[in-house]
Amino acid sequence: MSVLETRDVSIRFGGVQANRDVSIAIGQGEIVGVIGPNGAGKTTLFNMITGFYKPDTGRIIYRGRDITRLPVHARAALGLGRTFQNVGLVKGTTVRENLVTAQYLQADYRTISGMFGSRGSVASERRLRQKADALAEVLGLTELLDTQVAGLPYGTLKRVEIATVLATDPDVLLLDEPSSGMGPEEAHQLGDSLLELRNMFKLSIAMIEHHVPLVVRVCDYLYCLDFGQLLTHGRPNEVRNHPQVVAAYLGEDPDPLAVALEAQLNALVETE
Amino acid sequence: MSVVAPDRAVAPVAPAASQPFRPSLAGWLARGLAWAALACLVLILPLGRPGTDLRLYAIAACYAIVALSLNVLLGYVGQISLGHAAFVGIGAFTSAYLVTVQGQSFWVGVLAATAIGAGQALVLGGVSLRIRGLYFALITLSYGLVAEQNIFQIQEFTGGGAGQSAPKPAWFESEWRYYYLCLAFLALVLFVDWRMMRTKGGRALLALRENPRVASTFGINVRLATLFAFGVSGAFAGMAGALIAHGDESVSADVWNFRLSLFFVTMTVVGGLRSRVGLVIGGSFFALLPYLIEKIPGFEDLLARVPGPVDLTPEYATLIIGPLLLLINLIRFPGGIGQQTRPLQRWMTGHRFDPHDRGLKEVQITDVRA
Repeated sequence: MSVLETRDVSIRFGGVQANRDVSIAIGQGEIVGVIGPNGAGKTTLFNMITGFYKPDTGRIIYRGRDITRLPVHARAALGLGRTFQNVGLVKGTTVRENLVTAQYLQADYRTISGMFGSRGSVASERRLRQKADALAEVLGLTELLDTQVAGLPYGTLKRVEIATVLATDPDVLLLDEPSSGMGPEEAHQLGDSLLELRNMFKLSIAMIEHHVPLVVRVCDYLYCLDFGQLLTHGRPNEVRNHPQVVAAYLGEDPDPLAVALEAQLNALVETE
Repeated sequence: MSVVAPDRAVAPVAPAASQPFRPSLAGWLARGLAWAALACLVLILPLGRPGTDLRLYAIAACYAIVALSLNVLLGYVGQISLGHAAFVGIGAFTSAYLVTVQGQSFWVGVLAATAIGAGQALVLGGVSLRIRGLYFALITLSYGLVAEQNIFQIQEFTGGGAGQSAPKPAWFESEWRYYYLCLAFLALVLFVDWRMMRTKGGRALLALRENPRVASTFGINVRLATLFAFGVSGAFAGMAGALIAHGDESVSADVWNFRLSLFFVTMTVVGGLRSRVGLVIGGSFFALLPYLIEKIPGFEDLLARVPGPVDLTPEYATLIIGPLLLLINLIRFPGGIGQQTRPLQRWMTGHRFDPHDRGLKEVQITDVRA
């Protein structure tokens, strides 16, 4: 049974049908990739799953429960964690502060009792800091704990963001282009990290990703969106070679340049 | 786990982290002296001043509370309030009305002003939960005008043109005792603010100011957290209003206008958002500004000689100096006074003196577009 699924969700913004009858499913412990050209509606789909948009039609089911009408923070409490295309962090603070802030739901005291330093709140705050340290160690951020987030390079920020979303204690992780801003080597290491994190935290992961070698290596299943509709889905190698996918990525009539590009892409995958 | 070494890392990793800085004995003595001088300036020196001056100092402490109140909205949640004069004014009239007309004690008055301040802020917050930024500013602006034109025109409540009298509480009748009372309230507000920002509620506010979407994915209920901030800000404002009313011993309707709201915003921003020290300095400095200007010899003559359709009095000077400081602030020092005093502040709390320490980077508008 799938942990998270969308059933025929559609949404329209004015004249643009951003998603039409999109159904995807993420199984327990799976890593699912969502690919497609720019403007295909991938982030829109994620935004509906997280709760920023309400679909016009269709439902979102999380562990057998209809969550289509739940607000974002309630979905977070159920275990949906999410990263953003352009890094969702509290910029004015340190890495440590971000990791502590993200554990909002695990801080099991009332703000008012925390203000007067009740024993429970002190103990709770200590647990939050310990967990922040532990997560930073897992993602290799220990030296950066007291660094301002604003000054960090983009690739590192992406890693901090993953640590932060892990701090929310998620069950399902939705990653929006986790490898953007990373070089090939960094992206490869990100793939290793994701595979390890999935086992370590018992996660199911859905990720929007453009970096083909990464997708093919880590994903168990792929969905390809184009113009708001599901173009095809299946095992990574099937989807990658699907003629419609190639056309969607490289244009209708593959000219010599496109063919050369694709050959290069394939060669890259093979070397991985 | 394989991990990318942070090779392009980031200069400001403090090397001192491994070896925490400890001031020498002389260093501690110097710091002690600085603290003593500060205590002397705030607690002892004012006692030598005449009563009229002490009354001003008490009001200055109240303005510092107003700055802290506005900071909760402006600095923590990132919502600008252009109706804060109404927030404070409602507190002032509530307490004055309860004490003078209903015959309640001063303490009941202050408590009620705090509660009603929080209540009206919650109502306003509830109305405007869906909007942010400029549109929200417009809502608060119109709220201020509504209060000015309607609530503050109720004869029974505000005492009409003569104003409502607001006697000082028993035992605090003398100006210096009342001054200490205001300082105590300021200390209370500072404590609450300091503690709040060290709990999950405070962190939630900072996160949602940065980006409400990111905050909600942390499981933070954005509406509830915003309302909480409104409540706190309104409570501080109401309390400050009551203290101002009783400090002046009377309160009239015509002062709680839009100009005062702008004045509050100016002193808060110039003081420095999210810097408690800066806010206290900013608030009290602006409260004392007209009075300080009078002390500058020859300044009044200078003002009188400025050509123009109106004769400039010292009252106008604040209208010029305030925006001027705000401009300097926006162009050169976005962190306000608090950013400038930070090295001293760090030094006094037992850290190394670092003249370049400007604290947290001023936060840019984030580029998260979800």
